[in-house]
Amino acid sequence: MKELTPADASLLELVDRLLHKGVVLAGHATISVAGVDLIYLGLNVVLAAVETIESGAQGPGGVASRPGARPPAPRLS
Amino acid sequence: MTLLAHAITGEPPASLDGEGLRGRPLRWSGTGDIGLWSTRWDPADKLDRNDALEHHRLVERICAAQPCLPVRFGTAFATDEDARASLSTRADELRAALDRVAGKSELAVTLLWAKNSGSDAPRLADPAIGPGRRFMEERRARYATREARKTRAAELVECLVAELSVERSLVWHEMCTSDRVAVSLAVLIPSERATERKAVLERLASRFNDVVGVVSGPWPPYSFASIEQSGGAAPRRPTGPGAEPPTGSAPQSRS
Repeated sequence: MKELTPADASLLELVDRLLHKGVVLAGHATISVAGVDLIYLGLNVVLAAVETIESGAQGPGGVASRPGARPPAPRLS
Repeated sequence: MTLLAHAITGEPPASLDGEGLRGRPLRWSGTGDIGLWSTRWDPADKLDRNDALEHHRLVERICAAQPCLPVRFGTAFATDEDARASLSTRADELRAALDRVAGKSELAVTLLWAKNSGSDAPRLADPAIGPGRRFMEERRARYATREARKTRAAELVECLVAELSVERSLVWHEMCTSDRVAVSLAVLIPSERATERKAVLERLASRFNDVVGVVSGPWPPYSFASIEQSGGAAPRRPTGPGAEPPTGSAPQSRS
């Protein structure tokens, strides 16, 4: 396993913000990341990994409904 | 064709050059006194790491021109009307959030456990004892290490918040999000004081012997743009009065 360096930490902090922070708006489109449909955009959950949606308890819209759960970061290439 | 959202600003939109993600036209969708900056995007085009970082640079450019709320990367709308409708339904909260972050930037502090912090790995039990007891003692040692780290991380957060002398509502943090990370903390500061405050944070973070501090930013107020709760809650644990005391409980694991 690669050791987390300070330089990594800075980049990871930024990527974490891009993927997990910011205003969440209700989008209406699906875009995939790095050749794998990892990001599901729709309903009120803007960024959630499809694998989480599929493996978690699913609500009416197919969105993982575990309260307070934060979706894992999509893996970017 | 969809719209890939970048940031929300007030009317009138700043004069920005026309380039959005991958050199495609930057588009403004206004409704009332707010609007959304976005790039026209073919859903068949897959987003990658470079797109995420370019989105960041775009948001920085927009925020430099006028107060803005970064939109979470990857948010897309099928049509211009969808984008406007999404803004309209939350216009009041968005305006309040814009007022809250106007003229401010975010600094991030990451405290990584130092290799010599003495808690990298639990001490193994004496191999001479039986396997059952050894299993239990090793498990107890791991638990004690984890609890000690949570306690220490909470102390570090309190120390940083006290030394920063900022309103506690302007600070958010997470603790022990991985084996290596002790604290991840964000603070909202006036943009014109960003350089000075960053230097203060770097001095503070370097004081601790058991962690290595990394100060990042300033960058747009990503952690303070959320409008999920009144007062602009962000997904991080609040450190302000009335908030739960930091417990150090690890949030959901990340993939």
